[in-house]
Amino acid sequence: MYRIAAAAKPSQRPLVRCVSTTFNSHGGTGSASSLEGYTPPTTSPANDMIAQLAAKHLDRLSLKDLIRFGRPPLSTQSLLTSARFTREYLPVRLSRRIRALRNLPYIIVSNPNISTIYNNYIDSLSAILAFPAGSLTSLTEESKFTELLTEIVNTHSNTIPTLAKGFLECRGYTTPGEATKFLDHHLRARIGTRLMAEQHIGLHLASVPQPPTVSVPGKSYIGTVDTELRPAEIIESCASFVGDICELRYGARPKLTIDGNPDITFPYIPVHLEYIITELLKNAFRATIEANSPVPIIVTIAAAPGPPDAGGITIRIRDQGGGIAPDDLGHIWSYSFSTFNGSRSSIGSGNSGHLEGVDDGAPDGGMDAMGRFTESAGALEPSSIAGLGYGLPMSRAYAQYFGGSLKVQSAYEWGTDVYLRLKGVGLDGL
Amino acid sequence: MSTILQVSSRMRQCANSLESSSIQAALIGPHAKILRSKIIPTPTVMTETNSRHLSSIQHNPRWRASGVLDSYIAQPAHPISLRQLVFFGGRNLDDKKIINSANYVRTELPLRIAHRIRDMQKLPYVVVTNRHLSAVYELYYKAFESFRKIPEIKSLEDNEKFCEIVKTALQEHLTVIPSLAMGVLECNDLVPSHELDRFMNVILRSRISRRVIAEQHLALTDTFNSPFHFPDSVSHQPHEFVGEVFLRCNAREVVEQVGKHTLELAREANGSTSPIPEIQIEGRLDTTFPYIPSHLEYIIGELLRNSIQATIDHHTPLSTSSLPPIKVLICHTKEHIIFRVSDQGGGIPVTELAHLWSFAKAPRAANYLQNFSHVPKMAATLQELQKTAHTHSRRESMDTSLSRLTSRPPNLRLGMGLPMSRVYAEYWAGSLELHSLDGYGTDVFLQVSKLGNKCVLFADGVPS
Repeated sequence: MYRIAAAAKPSQRPLVRCVSTTFNSHGGTGSASSLEGYTPPTTSPANDMIAQLAAKHLDRLSLKDLIRFGRPPLSTQSLLTSARFTREYLPVRLSRRIRALRNLPYIIVSNPNISTIYNNYIDSLSAILAFPAGSLTSLTEESKFTELLTEIVNTHSNTIPTLAKGFLECRGYTTPGEATKFLDHHLRARIGTRLMAEQHIGLHLASVPQPPTVSVPGKSYIGTVDTELRPAEIIESCASFVGDICELRYGARPKLTIDGNPDITFPYIPVHLEYIITELLKNAFRATIEANSPVPIIVTIAAAPGPPDAGGITIRIRDQGGGIAPDDLGHIWSYSFSTFNGSRSSIGSGNSGHLEGVDDGAPDGGMDAMGRFTESAGALEPSSIAGLGYGLPMSRAYAQYFGGSLKVQSAYEWGTDVYLRLKGVGLDGL
Repeated sequence: MSTILQVSSRMRQCANSLESSSIQAALIGPHAKILRSKIIPTPTVMTETNSRHLSSIQHNPRWRASGVLDSYIAQPAHPISLRQLVFFGGRNLDDKKIINSANYVRTELPLRIAHRIRDMQKLPYVVVTNRHLSAVYELYYKAFESFRKIPEIKSLEDNEKFCEIVKTALQEHLTVIPSLAMGVLECNDLVPSHELDRFMNVILRSRISRRVIAEQHLALTDTFNSPFHFPDSVSHQPHEFVGEVFLRCNAREVVEQVGKHTLELAREANGSTSPIPEIQIEGRLDTTFPYIPSHLEYIIGELLRNSIQATIDHHTPLSTSSLPPIKVLICHTKEHIIFRVSDQGGGIPVTELAHLWSFAKAPRAANYLQNFSHVPKMAATLQELQKTAHTHSRRESMDTSLSRLTSRPPNLRLGMGLPMSRVYAEYWAGSLELHSLDGYGTDVFLQVSKLGNKCVLFADGVPS
């Protein structure tokens, strides 16, 4: 795969170096005042390949789209259709991300972390474009394509902490509003981009026989969608995982009980639910322990009557960990806002005076938060007990992606209730 | 069109035939009539029905010179800090203070009412001529005219006369809330819902402010006149009430009382044999704070009523087992009291959430209007006083508009409990939030400001 990518490198230059090409177009002979022999560039970033790809029409990915080929194993025809669809639209999605990144202030994209992400996207786009679209006519080619997708997915798995680090370092060079706007848009779009790739990978693994060393999705899966997802199971496993981190850090773990309707199942994407529940439980567990509260965390699962795409599922996480201080409530949805270690480094809190006074806390709080990035990687994002400050806004982005919602209600000095609502997808006899 | 062509060609045929003209005329006649009816529409005739409709929408509003109103509207309302209002009458009530208070009320009320009258005047004509809204408009104008003509109060005797006028006005205006609500429901297809809701919020907030100012003055006069009031002595019992404000409102007691009352109503309405859910109270139960009990009782009453009825409705098929309890959590911060009412009544479907907070209730307006006519004495004008069900009010014989609402049975759905409660909660710098677990139950969070809080300004509630 890298050989192909390397061959594509020469065509990559116009993307990153068009600035210098323009300046040197007349050969740089030293006649500074004369513009003789100057030919204007034929492409500019406003209409180059990135811009053209990014301008293509893109439909929002829905759960219905994901399951449209039916249950695997897919026929060769369906699998190839899925591959061609991904080959066509993934470049559009990647181009849009690149366009957004290159419109950021120069000083921000110069930051090594941000620049790494930017180059990752360029590399991935090159790799995909180098794969001839017309060749997706046989399973062999399709397998190669899926390998490429897998590599791309892996390359980008650390985007969030890297971007977080970068934006934290660039705090002084942009307004909180601009940073939030970019991050929110980017991270939400990223959900769809990854999903598109991972869905095809999942369908491939379930349709094409694999060697025993490769793990394939379970019988109830259609790609990344588990048609029989049992929320209680996810909650139990996340509680166990977060509890372990708690014990490691605090030496204790709070109790958790599940009530309501623990046996219901509905079609949804397990890794999304896992991410959200993990983040929410991290908040609940930390609050409970730090408040020394013996009261268990109660998770209530409610299933609305009717089909899964009507009312959906509502999960309430109720803790008695002392609630959220009124001063902090306005910032909980900001990226990189965290009360961990008493620090308050906030991007997008909308209160710029807030940032000024944070210098004393920032280096330590910020560094500690960054230190957390390197802890053990979770399924979707690296985990930490707290400190990233991305947990709530990201969870909400995941919840809202398919029409759900995430709401936080705090009774300060008592506890917090979090309401997660998710809509499934009608299986229509699948 | 083809009929016309057919008919006209037939006419031409007749005309071109060689028959005599009289025969021709006889032949053409019927065709011409048909033709005429197809081309020229028959004019609408003044039928009996049409005539009745036209006279019903005729309206002769009394044209009052709006110059006077304009001059009042030019002045902004004078907010008074609640702290001033509450602790004004504390222990040093004397003639001068009572007279000052009376004059403040005398000038402030017409000023605030004038603004609301102008709001109503700006609504579409077809809306204000609705019979319920028109009745409210007339009441407001009458009050404005009567109050603005009261001369300056200079003696305690003047104050007594003034208090009588105030009492009468308060009584007359008891029907305002249901009239507004019914009017809005009837007009919900004439004006966009959000405009009606905005109008309701503004007018209700202002109403709260006027009634509290007025009732507070009446209560202070009572205190001053009461035989047990010795201005210079040290009283042995701490003053529990300053006017309508109960200084040591105990959250748990309020919830218990209201809970008991609402459960009784539920038992009556649903039959004594059907199961009723229990109300369990938890949290910081020692919380006391200054508040106006009738307001709090109304809000808590509405919330408990919703929860009780939902729980009963959701579980009726399995009536043998006991119903899941309604849990009320009480806790407090330095500045707020928080109530959380959690039930397992099945939650609220997504489709209903959109209209929950609206007074206009677009799709279900007809149901609610029907129910209004069943509420005791809601639509009729008040004739006599009625004892309230709540003993916390100082003037027990005084009927309040809220008590009328709180004593209705829980299965009588008016559709305005939540939006009304929110107006009251937000008036006192609080909030009301609802979270539904569709298929399981509902949580409602009520947050109210402790009234001693100097941040609560007793304004008209509306930026002028």
